[in-house]
Amino acid sequence: MLKNVFLKTLRDQRVSLAWWAVGIAALCLFLVAYYPTVSRTPSLIEFMEEAPDWVKAFIGESAEDYTSPSGFLHGELFFVMAPMLFIIFAVSRGSAAIAGEEGKGTLDLLLANPIPRRRVVLEKAASMAAATLGLGLVLWASLSVGAALFDMDISPANLAAASLSCVLLGLVFGNLALAVGCLTGKRGRSVGIAAASAVTTFFVYSLSGMVKALKPWSRISPFYYYIASEPLKRGLNAAHALVLLAASLALGALSVFLFERRDILV
Amino acid sequence: MGEAAILTRGLTKYYGRSRGVEDLDLVVERGEVFGFLGPNGAGKTTTIRLLLDLIRPTRGTAEVLGMDVRGRGVDIRRRVGYLPGELALYENLTGEELLRYLANLRGGADWRFTRSLAGRLDCDLSQAIKTLSRGNRQKLGIVQAFMHRPELLIMDEPTNGLDPLVQLEFHRLVRERRQEGTTFFISSHNLPEVERMCDRVGIIREGGLAAVDEVESLKRKALRRLEIHFAQPVPPEAFAGIPGVRDLRVEGRTLTCSLAGSVDALIKAAARFEVLNVTSPEVSLEEIFIHYYREEPGGGGEGHA
Ligand SMILES: Nc1ncnc2c1ncn2[C@@H]1O[C@H](COP(=O)(O)OP(=O)(O)OP(=O)(O)O)[C@@H](O)[C@H]1O
Ligand SMILES: [Mg+2]
Repeated sequence: MLKNVFLKTLRDQRVSLAWWAVGIAALCLFLVAYYPTVSRTPSLIEFMEEAPDWVKAFIGESAEDYTSPSGFLHGELFFVMAPMLFIIFAVSRGSAAIAGEEGKGTLDLLLANPIPRRRVVLEKAASMAAATLGLGLVLWASLSVGAALFDMDISPANLAAASLSCVLLGLVFGNLALAVGCLTGKRGRSVGIAAASAVTTFFVYSLSGMVKALKPWSRISPFYYYIASEPLKRGLNAAHALVLLAASLALGALSVFLFERRDILV
Repeated sequence: MGEAAILTRGLTKYYGRSRGVEDLDLVVERGEVFGFLGPNGAGKTTTIRLLLDLIRPTRGTAEVLGMDVRGRGVDIRRRVGYLPGELALYENLTGEELLRYLANLRGGADWRFTRSLAGRLDCDLSQAIKTLSRGNRQKLGIVQAFMHRPELLIMDEPTNGLDPLVQLEFHRLVRERRQEGTTFFISSHNLPEVERMCDRVGIIREGGLAAVDEVESLKRKALRRLEIHFAQPVPPEAFAGIPGVRDLRVEGRTLTCSLAGSVDALIKAAARFEVLNVTSPEVSLEEIFIHYYREEPGGGGEGHA
């Protein structure tokens, strides 16, 4: 595990990664186990029919939407919770990658080795991607297992599509955090800017359903490419997934470009 | 390959508006141990980090082992060992894990040699770094700089935090590696140490090189103090006007003075009387150093490069 920067970076987070995996698996199993109760609650169906538009905008168009397996998972997990968790995880990795190590002062030692800076950034980005993808697998596996255990009628393929979208969304903000870290070397700034961007673009997308003025802007939000194509119902929209992937790659390349150019802080 | 180990031309680094180093022209030859001396904030760390391409010059160029630091950093770093001044290590690893990681990043290191280095410095590799004292961390930093047998070692205040015994072992290590042809560039404030270790010394002050000289000739050129004890009181006039003599004082049977250059004339003048004893307290580089520092920038003193 100390062979290269990629493996060392994974090794450093093995304990925290294990806890994240446990947490996500527990959350998923708990939610799925709770589903049979929800799907048979009439008052909830009434409530949904009378709910104001803004509530519907957040949790789905109709009661049927909410009580169907995909509607339930959308409202309870994939609309806010899962993306939030994946963004938090990826941003923490992305900001630790360069800015975190720079803050601790170990970057001098690392970069005194005969490896180009570009490779350090890319290996750390790859390690962030691998860890996030690993959590995506945990998300998918625990939902699939849970669905089988509690008779939730949803295809593993669609669960995979939603989980993968979640990973790709997280990585966009993870790479943004990486890029800010590569530019400034400050971890706080990296986390702050990535988190602020995530919150802003989330509201741009979720409010664009109601606020006409925001409509044209929804497509600049990564959340649009994450969820607008309804991967839980319709499977993966390759074009949308590619947009997220391209954004990550562009931010990764920008990180390298920025980092190659600047002074390492002591 | 006859290139210098380190060659800088007009090397300048500004941090925003504050000066790091300015117009530094420095040559370190292969095979020498070069001491880089200066007070706090003189620009030692700045120079060293420029050489490793960790920071980028405002203007000027630097070459290490004949290669430009900006273009060929990777090739340079393959052949250079570096000890950072602000040493920070991976707290979550043990000493051995740290060394293995760094060795792997270099494509391997001679592990027997690494262990023997650690043994000589009395450095415990099995302990977690977060539990190590400052000096024990420094030892790890030294081991990692030496372990791949680099041609050039660039070390920023290497003996910082080491106890005197380990310092001596470090000096021995430097001398041994020097015998094998390794070049050293060592920054320090510790003057007696530089006297002991180095062949040449560069004195940096306020971002510029104030002087470069052989340690030996620096000592020779410098002012020495001399005390002559006579059997009888001597007349001060007998010693007036001797070249190179300063601060002459004659009190009864004792003459004290400072002296630059040859002692010949003074000894001959003294020989006319009965001399009981001549003492010359060894002048440390410290005094030479202070002597350089007292001079105003641009003021001509002997030994200025
Ligand atoms: N990151 C930085 N930002 C702004 N100024 C800096 C920075 N690093 C160094 N300096 C300034 O550059 C000058 C040279 O600093 P440097 O660290 O090279 O000195 P030094 O000779 O290594 O000192 P010391 O003996 O204390 O280690 C100092 O005046 C310092 O204030
Ligand atoms: Mg320093």
